[in-house]
Amino acid sequence: MASPQENRPGEEEDEEEELDDSSYKTVKDAVLFAIDVSPTMLERPPASDDKKAERDSPTSAALRCAYELMQQRIISNPKDMMGILLYGTERTDLKDGDNTFQHCYLLSDLDVPSAQDVKQLRDLIENEEEVSDLLKPAKEPASIATVLFCANQIFTTKAPNFTSRRLFLVTDNDNPATNRQDKDTAVTRARDLYDLGCSIDLFPISRRDHGFDRSKFYDDLVYPTSPSDPDAPALPSTATKVAKSGDGISLLKQLLSSINSKSAPRRAQFSVPLEIGPGLRIGVKGYIMIKRQEHVKSCYVWVGGEKVQIASASTTHMADDTARVVEKGEVRKAYKFGGDAITFTTEEFAQIRGCFGDPIIRIVGFKPLDCCPIWANTNKSTFIYPSETDYVGSTRVFSALQQKLLKSKKMGVAWFIPRRNATPVIAAVIPGAEQVDENGEQSMPPGLWLVPLPYADDLRQPPEQVSSLRTTDNLTDLLSKVVENLQLPKGVYDPSKYPNPDLQWFYKILQAMALEEEVPEDPDDKTIPKYKQINKRCAQYLEDFGVAFDSEFKALTAGKSKTLTTGRKRVKASTADDDDDDEDGVKPKPARKKVKTEVKKETASQTPSMTDQEMASINDRGNISKQKVDVLKEFLGARGLDTKGKKLDLVDRVQVYLDRKGL
Amino acid sequence: MASKEATVYIVDLGRSMGKKNHGRSKTNLEWAMEYVWEKITTTVSTNRKTAMMGVVGFRTDETDVDGIVEKDEYPNIQVFSRPKQFLLPDIRILQEQIKPSSTNDGDILGALVVAIQMINDATTGKTGNPLKFERRIIMVTDGQGPIDADDLDGIVSKLKQDGIEITLLGVDFDDPESGYKEEDKDSDKEEHEAVLKTLIEDSGGNFGTLAVAIEQLAIPRLKETRPTPSYRGTLTLGNNVEYEATLTIDVERYPCTMLAKPPTASSFVVRTDLGSAPGASTQSSATVLGDGEHTNGDLSAVRNQRAYQVDNPEEPGTKMNVGMEELERGYEYGRTAVHISEADSNIVKLETSPALELIGFVAKKKFDRYLPLGRTNFIVPQKTNDKSQLALNCFVHALFETECYAVARLVSKQDKPPAIVLLVPYLEGEVEALVDVELPFEEDMRRYKFPPLDKKYTISGKVILEHRDLPNRDLMSAMSDYVDAMDLSNFGVDDDGNQTEYMKFEDTFSPILHRINQIIRWRATTNTYDKLPDPPQILTKYSVPPADLMAKAEHHLDALKQAGDVKRVPPKEKGRGKRRREDRDKPLSGLDVDELLGNPKKVKIDSQNLIPSFKQALAATDDLDAIQAAADNMGSNIKTYISASVGDSGYGRALEAIRVMRDELTELEEPEIYNVFIRDLKRDVLDGKLKGDRREMWWRIKGSRYGLIDRKRSFASDVTEEEAAEFYKK
Repeated sequence: MASPQENRPGEEEDEEEELDDSSYKTVKDAVLFAIDVSPTMLERPPASDDKKAERDSPTSAALRCAYELMQQRIISNPKDMMGILLYGTERTDLKDGDNTFQHCYLLSDLDVPSAQDVKQLRDLIENEEEVSDLLKPAKEPASIATVLFCANQIFTTKAPNFTSRRLFLVTDNDNPATNRQDKDTAVTRARDLYDLGCSIDLFPISRRDHGFDRSKFYDDLVYPTSPSDPDAPALPSTATKVAKSGDGISLLKQLLSSINSKSAPRRAQFSVPLEIGPGLRIGVKGYIMIKRQEHVKSCYVWVGGEKVQIASASTTHMADDTARVVEKGEVRKAYKFGGDAITFTTEEFAQIRGCFGDPIIRIVGFKPLDCCPIWANTNKSTFIYPSETDYVGSTRVFSALQQKLLKSKKMGVAWFIPRRNATPVIAAVIPGAEQVDENGEQSMPPGLWLVPLPYADDLRQPPEQVSSLRTTDNLTDLLSKVVENLQLPKGVYDPSKYPNPDLQWFYKILQAMALEEEVPEDPDDKTIPKYKQINKRCAQYLEDFGVAFDSEFKALTAGKSKTLTTGRKRVKASTADDDDDDEDGVKPKPARKKVKTEVKKETASQTPSMTDQEMASINDRGNISKQKVDVLKEFLGARGLDTKGKKLDLVDRVQVYLDRKGL
Repeated sequence: MASKEATVYIVDLGRSMGKKNHGRSKTNLEWAMEYVWEKITTTVSTNRKTAMMGVVGFRTDETDVDGIVEKDEYPNIQVFSRPKQFLLPDIRILQEQIKPSSTNDGDILGALVVAIQMINDATTGKTGNPLKFERRIIMVTDGQGPIDADDLDGIVSKLKQDGIEITLLGVDFDDPESGYKEEDKDSDKEEHEAVLKTLIEDSGGNFGTLAVAIEQLAIPRLKETRPTPSYRGTLTLGNNVEYEATLTIDVERYPCTMLAKPPTASSFVVRTDLGSAPGASTQSSATVLGDGEHTNGDLSAVRNQRAYQVDNPEEPGTKMNVGMEELERGYEYGRTAVHISEADSNIVKLETSPALELIGFVAKKKFDRYLPLGRTNFIVPQKTNDKSQLALNCFVHALFETECYAVARLVSKQDKPPAIVLLVPYLEGEVEALVDVELPFEEDMRRYKFPPLDKKYTISGKVILEHRDLPNRDLMSAMSDYVDAMDLSNFGVDDDGNQTEYMKFEDTFSPILHRINQIIRWRATTNTYDKLPDPPQILTKYSVPPADLMAKAEHHLDALKQAGDVKRVPPKEKGRGKRRREDRDKPLSGLDVDELLGNPKKVKIDSQNLIPSFKQALAATDDLDAIQAAADNMGSNIKTYISASVGDSGYGRALEAIRVMRDELTELEEPEIYNVFIRDLKRDVLDGKLKGDRREMWWRIKGSRYGLIDRKRSFASDVTEEEAAEFYKK
């Protein structure tokens, strides 16, 4: 367990686990981009009329990637550092007045990015002139040894105790050493970096007339394992794609995809034995592969100085009665019970939770995969992958299990305690097959997934259903046509097609405010359905369904008792309401109060209901507050507005609505 | 919300209840109270004001029925508590009172009349109307007391009239249902049992033997929650403003799964201001258990006080405190602080309107089961809306028939962030609905890569199918046999004795939730103890494979063990072995970098390249003096980092160097070299010998736990764990 990486400041394992799982230990990551600036790296692809044609030189493509990555990391890893180093430039500048590292230019220092860093990078990409001034290659290129030692110094001073430190090297030169001595120095410097605990990730680019042969030089510099993730072997070098232009997809896209796949260092959340049967344990590590990314919480800032500053908070505990400051050791935990407190000693507290044993994934047995229905989901899944650290032979046994489960469509059922004193979970152990995308890149790794299952305590009953109307075969068939014609591409949900609109909007606004720029107006929300396409593909089927639905509904309800008819009346009332509502047709998103499948508009107005105009005239006469709450609620509800609150609130809301419509 | 309850417990306290029967270690009363306490504490833990409880004893030495019935007619009956909300002190008081008496006189039916009257008093409104209550009487007795059965019919009709549910649990009563029959039952008891049974049967109550009731206590009770909708609105396909052909269904959304949370402990601190108060001191000196006995009286809640600091612009490198009134709301964008005034606070919010809109459909077969993010919800038609009912039912069946799921965009409330949900048909028994669960967005996916498990690649990209990390045919078939042998899908037995799935969701109970509740309830009624009780067996039942199935699969497991040939790595050897040069990690090409450099015998420590050169120096030598020299050199560099540090600028580097030194020397099994260094460093830092006040540095060493290497960490160390812990204290 005592791997050298496990005892970093602020990362100690908390023995007494708190209840939420968000207190996972975090690993800080620092990425330094080193981008080669040479005549070939600056060469632009030949001009073309094709809009999709390549425009960027390799260097500027790399800068764009760095820009994208920087913005992305501000969202996903707000505490992590990033820096950009250009090498081979005519200018030498490391922002410290030292010229030791010839032809190295530190574009942005290794640090948590600031809004200014983002702006600087964006200006550089957008402003061609500045680029040509800065991106002027030196007559003689920088030696790789110098670049590596420069990176060594930057990592040592700026990110001394980061667990993960990575150098991203972007170059098209597969043999930068001109003589034996240069190469040896570079090899030594690369080993220094490795010994320092930093890894080199190479992003090779092939030239049009010259492929990139890693074995010439870089295989002597790059190590197969990462110092921060020692026992999970990296993919073999061949799996790292060599990006090249004119290959259908642009160089920029290829680079982005390979850099994205490395954007976050792999972080194991736990390391526990997987007990397949009594006396048969193997080692596995758990990884969180899917987790809801939230935006940063608001904090307090101090605006008293020239520059806005984040105020850092420190918490002291105080006794409520005397306001005496209390040391951490004095604090007792107690449960409230019957208006009183039931206390336990610290040791007893540990025993209460500790009675379920040590961390483990213990397989209790196996079941068919359909014993883990989707409705039983309770929480996100955890990915597990074998590790040889504690048990030699883990990988082959794990592989046998994964392959067997895949083949037989089975799952394991396991008792799962991820960390000491953590809440025991019963989890389905589901096999995951490796998936690769059209470019041959892995899109989902092979392994096993732990899907937490509900306990009896976690199951809720659905509310009772009053009506028992059931579909007919005819209706089901008609609606099935709609389902069949609206399949997502390949019939799968691909998360990469759906950025979180709320998160993106939040950071877009925040970035604009940080840079004191114009705030954008229109959010880009990819989750909004493609209405046009839906209409094109399904209008006819929906029409058929609508007609059939109306007649079958009449037939199904015809023989029913009177109580049902009254029920229907109410429904109809809201129907009419909605139709009126449609007439004004201005609202962006009307919400209807009924099942509506009709194509020809049901113009027959039944019970008269309130239109915007009617409500406006009531309002003008000052009679709005005389309306019944039900009427107001219905009016608001039909327009997709909130119907909660006191009558005053409702009146307010109606007036705001009318106001906005200019009525 | 559950409805209001009034429950009265009638407890037999007769002399015979103090006996121990049938070889039990507990008296009959203790045994019976196990049930009663469990019931009472469960109710107390709900903290509900509307769950009232009362307690009546019979066959008591004293008589106390004041204000309820005439004392003379009800001798040897004592009311301990009238119906009210029970709190912890009530439990403590009651504990004192529940003791076997020295009499056997007192009529259980008398106590029942008292109980009925008590419930009546407590549940009658001001106007004399009975209020809406769940009325319950629970009686425990050994059936040894005399019974006057003259007015049995009157009692029965009163019970029925008041709608009181009555339960009687008898110590060693015969129970045909569970098959229990007491041997050599004395005739009095037999007669009493018969009378009581008639009473219960006539009034439609529950009659049972205590043993069964106590056994059933072990099955955790589930808390019922009234469903509350998280969305009420429409499920739509298409945009019904711009297009005519659309589908709109009125729906409501209710929880389907929801993790039940155990009670959380709050922070308290022992009050100090009471220290010399006579009451408090006698109380605490009288307690056996110290901490365990504190009640609210001498515990005080803990409040968190926050202080805010910013960099002092006047004096760079220092911090200054700022008051709340100087602070405004903002966010961090990278390391830039962005101020967003109160008026602008909505600017970062995406404006949305409530809606559930279909995006498209996906094939069930191709859906990855591990994608969903959280708990699930039912989507049901709007109540009393027949059209919605029919339309949603069509939709559910259309999904079912086409073996598809729907993907939809959900905004549950005005201006809530949109979520993408998967809609799955749910057809279980009578219930036909949709179930939704959230799917991840692009940002929620971490694209970590892992090597394939069914093949290996060489450096040159060649595929290898035989390798020690890949299972051979033997292992594959052993695994297959074992997995098939351990199938649970038909291993369970249902109530009718038919084969069924083992370990269904409804058979498993949240261990932590019920464990914590168990301990709290147990502690509320237990004053002295040696150790905490073990968790009930039902909470750990599913933590191991079922023994009888395991026994049958034993030989498959043995075969699997043999084919797998897994070896445990002895803890000591972990991480070792990289010390020798030839075992050091090599680049992809396998190049031996040391050989390239001519395998130098000695590597000089380079302060510009401190950590790598230190590691290389250690790798180059086995000589203790050379190791000592390298460590000394490292040590002086660390001190230089500290003494040259402006503010804390050099502390990070120093800390990292200390860490590397500690790890490397631990692995070399030379802890003493490090321990000498760190003792020396601590002294220098605290004595201010490193140019100024460097206490902050010491706090960081302490915080990182980079102190002495103790015996637990390295067997070669002569420092005990206590010494190592002491070292952190100043």
